[in-house]
Amino acid sequence: MGEAILFTLFSLSAVAFALGMVFRRNAVHCALHLVGVLLSLSGMFVLLHAQFIAAIQILVYAGAIMVLFLFVVMLLNVKGETPLLTPGAAKGFGFFFAFIAFVELLWIVVSQGGTEGEPAPVPALPPNFGSPAEIGKILYTTWLFPFEVTSILLMIAVVGAVVLAKRKFA
Amino acid sequence: MDAAFLIESAVKVLIVLGFVLLGVPLIVWMERKVIGHMQDRIGPQRVGPFGLLQTIADGIKLFFKEDLIPGQADRVVFFLAPALSVITAFVALSVVPFGDKVTVFGRDVPLHVADVNVAILWVLGTTSMGVYGIVLGGWASNSKYPLLGGLRSSAQMISYELAQGISLVSVILMTGTLSLAGIVAQQEHMWFIVPQFFAFVIFLLCGIAETNRAPFDLPEAETELVAGFHTEYSSMKFALYFLAEYANMMVVSAVAISVFFGGWRGPFLPPVAWFLIKLSLFLFFFVWLRATFPRLRYDQLMAFGWKVLLPASLLNLAVTAVVVALTG
Amino acid sequence: MGSMGVPTEYYQLVAALLFTIGLIGVLVRRSALIIFMSIELMLNAVNLSFVAFSRQHGQMDGQIFVFFVMAVAAAEVAVGLAILVAIFRNRETASVDEVHLLKG
Repeated sequence: MGEAILFTLFSLSAVAFALGMVFRRNAVHCALHLVGVLLSLSGMFVLLHAQFIAAIQILVYAGAIMVLFLFVVMLLNVKGETPLLTPGAAKGFGFFFAFIAFVELLWIVVSQGGTEGEPAPVPALPPNFGSPAEIGKILYTTWLFPFEVTSILLMIAVVGAVVLAKRKFA
Repeated sequence: MDAAFLIESAVKVLIVLGFVLLGVPLIVWMERKVIGHMQDRIGPQRVGPFGLLQTIADGIKLFFKEDLIPGQADRVVFFLAPALSVITAFVALSVVPFGDKVTVFGRDVPLHVADVNVAILWVLGTTSMGVYGIVLGGWASNSKYPLLGGLRSSAQMISYELAQGISLVSVILMTGTLSLAGIVAQQEHMWFIVPQFFAFVIFLLCGIAETNRAPFDLPEAETELVAGFHTEYSSMKFALYFLAEYANMMVVSAVAISVFFGGWRGPFLPPVAWFLIKLSLFLFFFVWLRATFPRLRYDQLMAFGWKVLLPASLLNLAVTAVVVALTG
Repeated sequence: MGSMGVPTEYYQLVAALLFTIGLIGVLVRRSALIIFMSIELMLNAVNLSFVAFSRQHGQMDGQIFVFFVMAVAAAEVAVGLAILVAIFRNRETASVDEVHLLKG
């Protein structure tokens, strides 16, 4: 029961914040709405037995990445766009393709589920599923190589960001 | 998830909230009194015995002040920002153990609101969410100095968060757990300040910077930015920022106590008393710093964070990792 | 205990909704900043999907994937925002409609 209530709450807030993010004019408001989505998703991760990912979501996504976003928005002081949406036929095409994508996703979700329209049952999980210790175990064994590659990726990103931000444009 | 558990949790939440709300006026009083004596004054003494009720009087005064909102301010965000500041400080305290188990009505009640297996990440995450309160407050005021203060604080807090997190990682390497209660449990024979002294120093410096206390109080540097991010705030919203700053001091102190100073452990006295004694000493240290050091320049602050604290914390982590790998 | 939880399909549904909203943002908004945020939203929708499947199959590999997605997102945001700042410095705009020098 508790999970159902919390799931409804988090999913409603996530979708509402997401809509707000896409259709607000002010970039700072958009960023704040995105933070709302991230926090709602973090709550859902806890419901899905992913405590570590939930904490990382708050720490990295909401706490660092979005602060960076806000920082840039405030630094650039971008004026609200007029008009808000891209003009002409492109807007119609955009909504149309998004709708098609949604129908496709919906079809996949519905058709790949359990047998005969019944949702697949949720399996019982061990109590330490998703705990930092368990995550660490497979991260540093099965996924060791991708993990090391990630560090190189981050290094490249750091260098790239510094080079881009430091360059003086004529 | 029975009723007794819910009641127990609700009572603990109320105790922590009440403790912070009652504690903050005491800390403010202590700060004014201590700084007063350090500067050869006597500090507040008129209201109540030893001036103890001075902060309460100030709070009541703030409560009845006119609540000014700048004309061009973003009203919703202007309201949201101080609330965010306070909320993040409060939720961070929810994972800090402030005493051993006690038995109430035949139930074993552990003295922390929640013992989650990601407690340290939770504390780091909520404190990094605390940045929003300051940045948004500065932005929503739609005024020069607050915006500068907000931008400064976001840069400062992101910079110092890194070193703070890494300094805690070296302790986590030794304990193998992210739970604060678990870390306290492992300090029965030796406080972690002994093997991890450098980590503690780095953590404390970053903690002072994260709470925007002197000498790292650049976001509200009054000599250059009037009052920084809360220049335009008045009345209860200003009081909330004030509350958040002191609640954040409590968070940093409580985490430092739990991670490096054995938490509630100590001889003779009951655990909660030890926790309170250590907390008071830490808060005194914060005040002492403020009375002693002048404010850093902004470039000095950033250079110190990135070029001294971060490499130092990484070095400490590497040494800890080698030692842990060699010894077991 | 088995069938008590919220079924994975519901989580997938929310993920699909969030992904579509993000897609709309990418397709119809003009500010590069908002498009960037919409991409983050889409990544997050996929993350939710990963975590839900991870629970459904009782394996944590999905959560590991989320971890990697976050690392990639962090790298992408750092570089992307640096590019945006560079563009804004040069051309005083953050609208994708006005950055079309490569168009013939």
